[in-house]
Amino acid sequence: MIVLPFAMHMANELLSVPVAGATLALAAGAVALAGVRARSTLDAEKLPLMGVMGAFVFAAQMINFALPGMPGTSGHLGGGVLLAILLGPSGAIVCMTAILIVQCLLFQDGGLLALGCNVLNMGVVPALAGWSAYRGILGRSAAPKPWRQYIAAWAAATVGVTAGAGLVPIQAVLSGVLRIPVADFLAVMVGVHLLIAFIEGAITFAVLAYLRRTRPATLGLPVADGRERLSRKAVLASLLLTATLLAGVISWFASARPDGLEWSYKHRAYGASKESVQNPSPTVRGVDAWQVRYALLPDYSRRAAALGQEPPQEPAHGDGAPEGRNQPEAEAYPNVNAWGSLAGLLGTAATLGLVYLLATLIRRRKTPDASS
Amino acid sequence: MHHSHIDRFAQGDSPVHRLDARAKLLAVIAYTVVLISFGRYTVAGLAPMTVMPLAMLWLGRVPVWFALRRVAILSPFIAMLCLMSPLYDRTPVRAALGPWQFEVTGGWLTAADVAIKFTLGLTALTAMMSTTRFSSLLEGMRRLGMPRMLVLQLGFLYRYIFVLIDEAMRMRRARDFRGAHRAPVQRRLAAVGGVIGSLFVRTLERSDHIQTAMSARGYRGEPRGLRQLRFRLGDAAFLAAAAGYLLFCRWVYPQVL
Repeated sequence: MIVLPFAMHMANELLSVPVAGATLALAAGAVALAGVRARSTLDAEKLPLMGVMGAFVFAAQMINFALPGMPGTSGHLGGGVLLAILLGPSGAIVCMTAILIVQCLLFQDGGLLALGCNVLNMGVVPALAGWSAYRGILGRSAAPKPWRQYIAAWAAATVGVTAGAGLVPIQAVLSGVLRIPVADFLAVMVGVHLLIAFIEGAITFAVLAYLRRTRPATLGLPVADGRERLSRKAVLASLLLTATLLAGVISWFASARPDGLEWSYKHRAYGASKESVQNPSPTVRGVDAWQVRYALLPDYSRRAAALGQEPPQEPAHGDGAPEGRNQPEAEAYPNVNAWGSLAGLLGTAATLGLVYLLATLIRRRKTPDASS
Repeated sequence: MHHSHIDRFAQGDSPVHRLDARAKLLAVIAYTVVLISFGRYTVAGLAPMTVMPLAMLWLGRVPVWFALRRVAILSPFIAMLCLMSPLYDRTPVRAALGPWQFEVTGGWLTAADVAIKFTLGLTALTAMMSTTRFSSLLEGMRRLGMPRMLVLQLGFLYRYIFVLIDEAMRMRRARDFRGAHRAPVQRRLAAVGGVIGSLFVRTLERSDHIQTAMSARGYRGEPRGLRQLRFRLGDAAFLAAAAGYLLFCRWVYPQVL
């Protein structure tokens, strides 16, 4: 059975140190704010018990839902948006932060330094965007109609999940590790996550339907009158809306790609094959020049060397980044470096052999002690 | 409990297990920073970076396949991105290793670079988590200045995650035995909603009970534990060695090349 994953965890390797640092600082600020707000709504002794709610999200992810029309495939809940609806945005952010830290440490899903990105993409943004969408559609009424609540839940899931997923390519491109143009990357991520968001929305509103019927107090509703059921029309309507949205986004990207979104100047700076395309706008050229001069990554100088097969000539490249010298390890100057890198590999292998020997020696000395 | 395999080596005993949690955490964070600070075309330059994670695994008596299995499980997303990279970056680059020289494109180098860094970073993290008890790690993070509220929350999350996962698995099995596979979509969705919804209600009640029980035992917002951390000379030596090693990998070794 294929389980559709929650494929949003950012990895360390796609980030540069400045982007990782900035997102970590941003996420820490947002979580601290959310913590202060949550403390004012919940009493202080109860706040740690948000951890138990976090465990609930892990458990809820175990409940699979066999997808219609795709035999053998099943999806599951992500949970961020449901938490935002049930606990409010600040509670959800605090709770999701704990979940993401445990996912990172215990399950190694998402890197240590990517934690800032992940808290923003899967905690702060889905909670805030999802909750605003939910509240916006629900309106101020004390006892909203069921269909309104279902549509609000579905919209919250779609907006929350997609907005978070949309941040992944932007962070990756700002880091400049991959040279995938941001528009293509964004189209893939948003397209995939619209599908995931649909499952998320469907399950979220199924849960709300259940809670509305059995425990209306958890949703802040008065006791329900009579029996309400999950209506087939609401499911169909949301399915149709998702399909329309998916088609709309894909066609928008398809039409926008050739002549470029505003931000595609970024991939011009990386995309070597697109160097010949001259962008007439002086602003864009200014940004390019600025990027090349002040780029924290030394990769640009590396690229210049690789393209022309000669060392970089602009002094702005070479001395701006002291690590620039390290980058062309094996490729650009094969005569100088080739034997060095081979020697490095052999040296590493020898070191590892020594460590392994040491480890076996310790183990051998230990084993009789343990058995006796 | 059927889920203890996730950190099943953390309870063991070895020279690495006996190190202070703070020392290991700081070393692994520094290792990750150094790892991602290498440029996107670095492949051979990463060779000495393999020493630290493997040494931690071997000396900590954690089988290497355990870490590599985590890499395999978590790799699909990163593998997709790695395979996209050669499509876009076609800069010709000449790579060389000893007497062998070959032409590749920049995209393939980036793909190899990201894949190696992913494997190494994940192995280092697994090495730390498999040689450190989660409670010691939490205590270490608290001493390093993480807000107490978050630490407490992580403690509860870790304590209840397997309890609730077991409960969810039981509910799932009950649902499946009642023939949820053959039900129409709408009923199936309602069943999922029912299971998750009642799990939520049970969790709310459970956390209320926990709070009552804790207050009855004198909890006033300050957790107390028996296990104390001690930063010994060995921990300082380990940190110094890790720092020296990382400096060598990042600044000395590339100069030698």
